Amino acid sequence: MIEIRGLSKSFVGQDGGRVQALSDVDLDVAENEFLTVLGPSGCGKTTLLKAVAGLVPVDSGEIVVDGTKVRGPGPDRAMVFQNFALLPWATVLDNVAFGLELRGVGRAERQERARALIAMVGLAGFETKRPAELSGGMQQRVGIARALAVQPRVLLMDEPFGAVDEQTRRLLQEELLSIWEESRLTVVFITHSMEEAVLLGDRVVLMSARPGQIAEIVPVPLERPRARSLERSGKYAEITAYLWDRLRDMHEEHRAAR
Amino acid sequence: MTRRGHLPYQLLTFVIFAVSWEVYARVRGGLLIPTFTETVGASVKLLGSAELWQALYASNQALVLGFALAVGVGVPLGIVLGRFRTLERFADVYLNILLVTPMAAIIPLLGMSVGYGLAARVILVAIFAIVMVVVNSRAGVRQVDPSLIEMARSFGANERRIWTRVLLPGALPAIMTGIRLGIGRAVTGMVLVELLMVSTALGGLMLEYRGLLKAPQLYATIVIILAEALLLISVARWGERKLTGRSVR
Repeated sequence: MIEIRGLSKSFVGQDGGRVQALSDVDLDVAENEFLTVLGPSGCGKTTLLKAVAGLVPVDSGEIVVDGTKVRGPGPDRAMVFQNFALLPWATVLDNVAFGLELRGVGRAERQERARALIAMVGLAGFETKRPAELSGGMQQRVGIARALAVQPRVLLMDEPFGAVDEQTRRLLQEELLSIWEESRLTVVFITHSMEEAVLLGDRVVLMSARPGQIAEIVPVPLERPRARSLERSGKYAEITAYLWDRLRDMHEEHRAAR
Repeated sequence: MTRRGHLPYQLLTFVIFAVSWEVYARVRGGLLIPTFTETVGASVKLLGSAELWQALYASNQALVLGFALAVGVGVPLGIVLGRFRTLERFADVYLNILLVTPMAAIIPLLGMSVGYGLAARVILVAIFAIVMVVVNSRAGVRQVDPSLIEMARSFGANERRIWTRVLLPGALPAIMTGIRLGIGRAVTGMVLVELLMVSTALGGLMLEYRGLLKAPQLYATIVIILAEALLLISVARWGERKLTGRSVR
């Protein structure tokens, strides 16, 4: 579904030098796969996601989504943002319908579709509220509904639950799992939480920093549909422990290198 | 500012102010300092005179035209400066000059270049008001969360949609604030130009009353100018609330 070949990207850093955000990244994501990407901060995981979204131009390499080379944002992909990125002056309904509006869907149709998705993410009755009147978890539900409204084939999620409290995060994880079970979208999900990466992902892509590279891809052979009770299983504990070992090693290597 | 909860306090300070004025004028006043009641009486009488309304009309001509000019030029200019940083390198120094220059100083300049007619008054009002409009519009565009622009792009927005659906709505409250603050400056400019440059209209009236030592009328004229400024700012605040759907402090 997504093929990434030899992807490199560098930025001009704050000190004026070039920072290599991604270096020669190869990655394949299968159709209907839930892929989680885990790594220390500054490992380029958000850059990778934005490159797939078509939001940042790459230096070299290519990204092919569903047979088409990515040259910019496209209707086959929709993004969910860490800080929600909701229009503060617009209502929940208009926010959810915003992606449809940008794609030229007529008012009546987009409102109807938006209402259905608002109900699906459990926000029925909040259509006329503005983002500031909602909790963080509710705001991200709006963000998810907005992305799903455009009926993408790939859902790109950039630490979507990073800015909500722990209990809400657990609820949102479970809801996302059930949405995914039904829709079977292809999902690329960035996170800095090992537990989240294992609970949600079919595979966990472990990235290392400076330059951003894929260190390892860890399969998660846990049965679906997954439930919270999984966290008590031995396999789950084993994988999260392994991921933590690898992350700690990376951290120490990085410190030693400096 | 005039939220319902503040009204009793504002009334109280006004009463204290009026009583102090009255007492001071009765004890120390005389020909040059009218009492509060004299001023109120003169205001009422003035409002019934054709002279005042002619002056108001003439003054407001400059105000309306000058302010419209300030908004018409200032809002687009501020927006463009906010969006394109490189332009700002050229413009910043001039904006700062506009902010700090004592505007009265440019009045003789203006008189020499465009004469002492309506044009000069309009230009001065515009120069007074435009700084607030530009600076606030610029800040408004700049404060729009860049992640909103990224979000809109990710859903396929082109540059035009980013402007109409993200940047302008996001900047609107600050633009309206700039317009409201600009009104205050425009009224200042309007009176100043008439006092210092062309003694016509309201400014001319004030100079005339001063010359004739008609203190109550002079004070009354000032009161009427203040009342007009307050009215205009209230209208602007009401418009701000209507347009942005948000409460304005």
